Amino acid sequence: MDVTTKQVEKEKIKESHVLTDKSHQYRSDDSQQLAVAVETDSTAREKQTSVSRSSNKESPVIELDNLSVSFGKPVLNQLSAKVDGRCIGLLGPNGAGKTTLLNTLLGFTRPSGGTARIFGYDVFKQKNKVHGVIGYMPERDSFISGMTGIRFVRLMAELSGLNPRDALERAHEVYFYVGLGEARYRTLDSYSLGMKQLAKLAQAIVHGPKLLFLDEPTNGLDPPARARMLNLIREIRDSGKTRIIIASHLLQDVESCCDEVLVLKKGKIATYCNLEEERQNNRKFLLLQVRGDEDNFVNGLREWGCEVARPSRRHIKVVLPEDISIRHLYALAQELSVQIRQLDHKSDSLEDVFFRAMDSE
Amino acid sequence: MAIFQKAYCNYSGELSSIYARPLVIFRYSLDSILSSRLFLSFMLVCLLPSFAVMCVIYLHYNFDTLMQLEIPLNELVVIDAEFFATYMLRPQLFFVFALIMFIGPKLISPDFRNSALSLYLSRPITKTSYVVGKLLVLVSLSSLISWIPSTLLILFQASMVDGPWLSQNSHLIFAVISTSLIWILSLSMMSLAISACVKWAPVAGLFFFGIVFVGSGFGALVNELFGTWHGKLFSLFESLAVVVQATFRLDGFSVVSFGASLSVFALVFTLSTLILYRRIRGLEVVS
Repeated sequence: MDVTTKQVEKEKIKESHVLTDKSHQYRSDDSQQLAVAVETDSTAREKQTSVSRSSNKESPVIELDNLSVSFGKPVLNQLSAKVDGRCIGLLGPNGAGKTTLLNTLLGFTRPSGGTARIFGYDVFKQKNKVHGVIGYMPERDSFISGMTGIRFVRLMAELSGLNPRDALERAHEVYFYVGLGEARYRTLDSYSLGMKQLAKLAQAIVHGPKLLFLDEPTNGLDPPARARMLNLIREIRDSGKTRIIIASHLLQDVESCCDEVLVLKKGKIATYCNLEEERQNNRKFLLLQVRGDEDNFVNGLREWGCEVARPSRRHIKVVLPEDISIRHLYALAQELSVQIRQLDHKSDSLEDVFFRAMDSE
Repeated sequence: MAIFQKAYCNYSGELSSIYARPLVIFRYSLDSILSSRLFLSFMLVCLLPSFAVMCVIYLHYNFDTLMQLEIPLNELVVIDAEFFATYMLRPQLFFVFALIMFIGPKLISPDFRNSALSLYLSRPITKTSYVVGKLLVLVSLSSLISWIPSTLLILFQASMVDGPWLSQNSHLIFAVISTSLIWILSLSMMSLAISACVKWAPVAGLFFFGIVFVGSGFGALVNELFGTWHGKLFSLFESLAVVVQATFRLDGFSVVSFGASLSVFALVFTLSTLILYRRIRGLEVVS
């Protein structure tokens, strides 16, 4: 393996720092006001990029053309996009259509309209070609009972077309790669949850797919196992040989692995953006924690032309116009007898991008 | 380079033909079934009728041995179509039923219970390949205890007789193979369909047993209540008897026609295929 034990340890330490931060699960409705403060012309830019983001002349990784899926009522509604990132995060609230989109791309669900293509192959008409280039790690436990880990991965490799000898060799390699080498002759039923997740990853990459679908890859993992999983995903991404699609509820995981995100909302694409570009382009803002007459304070800021959002009762997000400085904030606070207890310079995170997408119509 | 030092890399070797993939499923399923000693013992028991028939044929044409065993010639059974149908094929087909009931439900139910279908069907294999792979397990094992030994026994009989016995009874080979395959295919598909509907293999086995035997009982009840013969169509064993009678050209009369019996098996096969087609899918549909 490329990464030495030392590097793995470093990554684990880094991840554990990240994990001590607050949870990045979806927040309450109040916090969606965050989006208002950072609403910039980038929204328009996102909408443009959502139409086309093909960066090279080859077929895009995923191409959706008016893709609709309906189970009595529409679940995916005329999705159109060209997705071409190295690692793409698929985000959206419950019921947004993430799983349906994933199932459609895997050929499990028949589209009611439009088409979806993976590397130029139609996911329904050229199912075998699509399945030949993808790997899939399902969210739920998916195993063949009674099999040892190595036999399971070998079977999956053979089903992907590898001859028995190569399949066995690759199964061993992949099992060591994901860190389950010592447990390869144990039956899958005896694995812990973390080991099962790694075994699922092993079967998904054993044939060296060009595109890897990971459905909630860190679900139910403890912090060290989660760090290990994310580290593996980043390694696969950085190998440059496999593109990755991650469907996850954990924004932090997506942010740490993905370079692009596709956000779904009510069966439509709410946004598709490059995270690095977003980070570079997003305006910085101030996050204030105040005590006192917050409403008047907010009104005062708005009168000065500040963009203001209130993620919670005591927190205020402010984008200052050029002619207003922090000194003015303190003056206003003093005038209204409001205490500014904390003031931080911040910039948009994936969470902000997500909530902005949720707020947009 | 040591295996644990290898980095993630793509596979650049040759891929097998897409038509060979059912054989992978067949091989792995067969392997897991043959790992059971109980099953191997059962297979040996299933071969006992064939062995007994072989002994009878051998003794029939070895007078010296008969004399030593003090078996009078006039008590020997006549080796003809009736003999092969009654003493060879019928017990074998009953064992086929038991075998399919024993292993059929174990083939698909565990994949449903462990959500493994999404793993299979996200690979370059189709629903049909998956079912064919599983079906091959049942067909091959059932064939090993039915038409393969039967055909060999018929050839053995032919080799023991002087004269054109085989040309006069060539229909027996066709009868053995066709009857066995009709029985094996319809029961196998039915068993797979049931195992695709019931996630727990032992319960699926009971369902299979119930459908075959309760069907016969229900048919008898229909006949009693309505004074008709149509209830016989619910009994697969009744239909099998008609098919055996027709293909072996045996004397006797049955109210159920050969065509009607074949239609019963065709119906079972078609319904099972439809159920499998609907049930085998990459994602579980919760209604």
